[in-house]
This record gives sequence, structure tokens and C-alpha cells, in this order.
Amino acid sequence: MTFPRASLGSWALMLPLLVVILAVVSWPLAYTVGLSFTDAGLVASSGNFVGAQNYLSAMSDRGVRAAFYNTAWFTLVSVSLELVLGVLVGLLLNQEFRGRTLLRAMMILPWALPTVVNAILWRLIYNPEYGALNSALLQLGIIDSYQSWLGRPDSAMMAMVVADVWKNFPIVGLICLAALQSVPRDTQAAAIVDGAGPLARFRFVIWPYLAGPLMIALVLRTIEAFKVFDIIWVMTRGGPANSTRTMSILVYQEAFSFQRAGSGASLALTVTLVIMVLAGAYVSIMRRSALRA
Amino acid sequence: MSGLSLVNLTKFYGSVQTLKGIDLALDEGEFLVLLGPSGCGKSTILNIIAGLLEPTSGDIRIGGRSVLGVHPKDRDIAMVFQSYALYPNLTVARNIGFGLEMRGIPKTQRAAAVASVAETLQISALLDRRPAALSGGQRQRVAIGRALVRNPAVFLFDEPLSNLDAKLRMETRTEIKRLHQSLGKTMVYVTHDQIEAMTLATRIAVLNGGQLEQLGTPEEVYRRPASLFVANFIGSPGMNLLHGRIDAGKFVTTGGEASIFLPPGYTHLAQGRSVVLGIRPEEVALASSNDPSALVARVDVVELTGPEKLTLLRLGADQVMASLPPTAAVQAGQDLSITLDEAGVVLFDPATEMRIAPAR
Ligand SMILES: Nc1ncnc2c1ncn2[C@@H]1O[C@H](COP(=O)(O)OP(=O)(O)OP(=O)(O)O)[C@@H](O)[C@H]1O
Ligand SMILES: [Mg+2]
Repeated sequence: MTFPRASLGSWALMLPLLVVILAVVSWPLAYTVGLSFTDAGLVASSGNFVGAQNYLSAMSDRGVRAAFYNTAWFTLVSVSLELVLGVLVGLLLNQEFRGRTLLRAMMILPWALPTVVNAILWRLIYNPEYGALNSALLQLGIIDSYQSWLGRPDSAMMAMVVADVWKNFPIVGLICLAALQSVPRDTQAAAIVDGAGPLARFRFVIWPYLAGPLMIALVLRTIEAFKVFDIIWVMTRGGPANSTRTMSILVYQEAFSFQRAGSGASLALTVTLVIMVLAGAYVSIMRRSALRA
Repeated sequence: MSGLSLVNLTKFYGSVQTLKGIDLALDEGEFLVLLGPSGCGKSTILNIIAGLLEPTSGDIRIGGRSVLGVHPKDRDIAMVFQSYALYPNLTVARNIGFGLEMRGIPKTQRAAAVASVAETLQISALLDRRPAALSGGQRQRVAIGRALVRNPAVFLFDEPLSNLDAKLRMETRTEIKRLHQSLGKTMVYVTHDQIEAMTLATRIAVLNGGQLEQLGTPEEVYRRPASLFVANFIGSPGMNLLHGRIDAGKFVTTGGEASIFLPPGYTHLAQGRSVVLGIRPEEVALASSNDPSALVARVDVVELTGPEKLTLLRLGADQVMASLPPTAAVQAGQDLSITLDEAGVVLFDPATEMRIAPAR
């Protein structure tokens, strides 16, 4: 489809919107970029120009590296679990059984909860004195005394992952369910007549319809997970011993706790860059699947 | 006694009975067409034969052996679907060979079988493409190829041509007929296209509401419909049905507007008995001016279809469709003298809606 080239009149019509976009998106972004090349503090001084110093020291900073590693680990593990669980749940909910509609409706609940509420909920579950997790594990005989799940560096991040997966696998499940419902019945029947077992049917009949939507879920969830902030902030504020400090937490601490706006801005832009790469992947996948359809 | 037989097949969905006891037996090599209005249970029967659905009761025999409870892949059947049902990310070659692949046939043997089927269907040039890069007609050939390559005892087709345009539909129909002639395999074919049914079938099963209305050759079903439903359903337009009674060995319409001679077999019917007279549109002709048996009818609508002029006439309370030559000079509103070819007359009992068999 082609459109006639925008005339002067149409530019005039778009001008107000362009001004708004410039004001609310471009200006803060440009300001942040400028800030990232200074040693400005949070208040008062506008700082001095320091060139790429903030970026260079971030690269060699162990705290930044650890935060980057934490973020990557959180993203990788929670998104993988969400996808696997989501596909399984999608397959399950696509079966016919009693109570299916109720289960589908219930599935949406964790996802519909505000993240902060979810975080508070899980903080209660993990509570070292009266938490449900301790009580359940003790009764099952898996642990012999109550543990401080959020208080130990080796378990705190996993606890974050569990809370995040619980909240987000439903949306992946529902995306899968929608995809599965588009798998033609005839093709499935043909595969059965052709003698394909469940695995071959998944691979040759279901997967072609699932792959695209799942890819989109993957990229969207990755972007979300990479930005993770609130769930961690509410539960541990990045502790203990910085074991749950992700990039977003680090940015916040750098800019607001340590009042180093310039260096905070450089870290924020680094996160933004990673996310832009992921978003680029998302757009190209979308475009490719749109071309195929 | 090989081929295919269905024995008192029933199917319930919950408390709704979709099949109400279907009995039919086919010899090996027959071409059965299941014909009937939408929702009458055609696909259900086909899926039960394929093993994709279990019947509530009854039996299915393929080659004399009951296949009840046998997995579809072990039934020695292959199925072609209306939507083609190709595997979207496999090439044409792999699509065709998929059934063999799943059965563990070695690759070289598979390739040879696929190549020969592709040759037959003239799709050899397409073997490396994916389904998305094929036209509808080509996709349907691939789907047929996928069935052919397995060389099953029974082929099942569920409306395989209904997604094709009219011309392609005719070509593919001819192709299927040719395949049937050369393979000599039993085929069961679902359609609601009359022409497909008449041209392909060795026998037609007319279904209505989960019941078998008639099982017969195309000729029987067309000329001697077993019930008013079949008379009306088969043929487009369907059989003309006139309501009336027997009077002095003739048929007289309810209002007495017309009396029609009956064929010899029907002279035994009781005086005054209510009957429905059926006659095909092409057995209604213009009467010559001095024909003593001519009936006068008022022309309602005239439609020129090309090879014929479909003329809707009003005869008393009933309507009569006549298929007249395209050159016939008829106009709406005009009174027309017509004759009915008494050899084509069929009588039905209005109470049972079944055909009254002529005495021999
Ligand atoms: N899963 C199901 N649950 C309940 N009823 C069903 C189910 N599948 C089919 N039916 C009903 O069974 C009847 C027969 O269906 P079937 O698909 O065999 O019809 P058909 O003759 O193939 O129709 P069409 O010409 O439209 O394809 C229909 O009335 C349909 O509503
Ligand atoms: Mg059907």
C-alpha cells in the first residue's frame, strides 16, 4: 500500500503531536544523554563534563558487573521457566475437561495482580518466622528448620525468580493457548492418521503455529525481566549483600541513594541500549511473521 | 466380502443422537459418496471409519475385519481433508512422505514412492516447496498424494474440492475419478455437491438427520428416490412434487386442475388414495397442439441457465419446474400446454413420505 506524500498541511496537523512527543520523550532522553557525560550530583551542581569517564569506570566496576550478571541470570532463568510452564499450561488448557473455563479464568489472576502486591504476598510467603513456604517444606520433611529465604545471598535471587515466574507464566500460557487454538483440527487429524505420535505431532503440527507467538512472548518477557525493579525493591532492596541487585536497582541507588546523577544516567542508558536491541529483535520477528502470513 | 461395511452405527454427543443406526456394505473397489445436507452426519461417519471418533455402538469392518478400537494408523485407510491439512513447515516431498516416515520406511524407499506419486499427480516440480507457496489446487494434489503414497485399502475424502474454484473443481474431480479407475480401491467421499456425487459414485448414500435415506447407484437415487426427502434433495432443481389422489387409474391434483396418466405399475392403487406424484423437470415438455393429455399451467418465472430454460409453472396449488430447451418461446404470465413423460413418474405416500413401489 502506498500513501501520497505528506503535504505541508498534514505536517501542520501533526505538529502539535510532534511537539508533545519531542517534549516528553526526546528532551528527557537528550538530557539524560548529556548528563551521562558529566559528574553531576542529584541536586544543585550541573557538574563538569567528564567525557566517557562514567561509561569507562562502569565497565571496570565490580558492582556494575555483578548487577549485570544478576540481571542476566534473573532474566534467563525466569523467562525460561515462564516459557516452559506457559507452553505446558497452554497445552493443558487446550484439552477438554470439566472446569476448564474456570481454570482459564483463574490463570489470569496472578498476572492481574499489581507487582507490588505480588511482591508483598511473596515476602509473606518467604517470611522466616511464619511464612507458608517454610511451613510447607518443613511438613513435607524437605527442610528441618525454618530458613530465611530472602536473608541468604544464595537463595534470595531464586526466591525473586519464583515470585516473578508465578506472576508472569500465566500470560505466556494464555498467549500459547491462543496460538494452540489456531492449530487446524484437520491437520492434527491428518497427523494421527499418518501415524504421528504426540511428540511428532507437537513438532510438525503444533510447533509451526506456536513458534511465532512464543517468540513474541519470549522477547516481551525478556525486555520486562531485564528491566526488573519493583518486585525486587519491595522484597529485598537489592540485598542481602547485593545478591539481588539488578541493573535497575543499581541505577536507582547510584542516582538517588548515592546522589550521583551523571553516573546513574550512564548506567540507565546502558540498560536502555540493551533493551533497544531486544526491542529491535521483537520488531524484526513481528515483521518476518507478518510477511509470512 | 472385503471392502467396507458399517453395521448399525450410532453416535451420541451427550444426549444428542447424531447417527441413528447406519447400515451399509460396500464391495472392494466401490466409490461411495455420502451426500446430505449440512449437519446430517457425513463427517461424523467418515471420522468414525478413520478411527478419529469412536461410535457409541455398532461396528466398522474393513476387508472383513472389525477395526473397532484399532488406532487410525493401523486401519489401512488414508484421508483427504477439505482444508488440505498439510504440515506447514515441511516441504511437499516430506508432506507426501510423512505417513511413510512415521512408519519408519527407509529414506530411499520413501523418496521413490513420493517421486512416483508426484509423477502421477503432476506435481514433481513442486516437491521442494512449502505449502504456503502453493495454489489451492496444488495443495489439494499434495493432500491427495499424501493419501496415495500409503496405498491404503480405503480412501476417505471429506469434501476435498469445496475450497477450489469451479474450473479446478471439475479438473480435480476428473482426476479423482481417473485415480479410482486405475487403483480400483474402495473410496468413501463426502460432499454436498450433487454433480460430484452423480459423476463419481458407484453408489450414493443419501443421509438426512443421521439416518440413511437411501443407498443406491446414482441412477437409482436420481430416478427412483426412496423418499420425498431424496426426491427433493437430489437434482438441482429437485424433483417436482404434486399433491393429489388416485382417480380411475389416473392421478388427479388436489384441486382437480389436472389429471395425469400413470405408468403401468401403478394401476393397482386404490381409488381415492392420497399420493404425491414426483416428476423430474426434464421430463416436463411443451405439448404439441393436439396432445389430448396436455395440461395447462401458468408460467411464473423463466430462467435461462445456458443449456436449458428453467421455467417455473403453477399447476393448481403446486409448482412445477420444467427444464425446456433454451429456444422455447415462453414468457412469464403466459398459459402453457405441457406434458409429463409418464415413464418418469414416481409416486410417494404422503403419510410415510416413502416411495410407493410399482407392482410388477
Ligand atoms: N463435538 C461435537 N459435539 C457435539 N455435537 C457435534 C460435535 N461434532 C459434530 N456434532 C454435531 O453432529 C452433527 C453432524 O455433524 P457432521 O460434522 O458429521 O455434519 P456434516 O454432515 O459433515 O455437515 P457438513 O456438511 O456441514 O460438514 C451436527 O449436527 C453437529 O452439530
Ligand atoms: Mg462435514
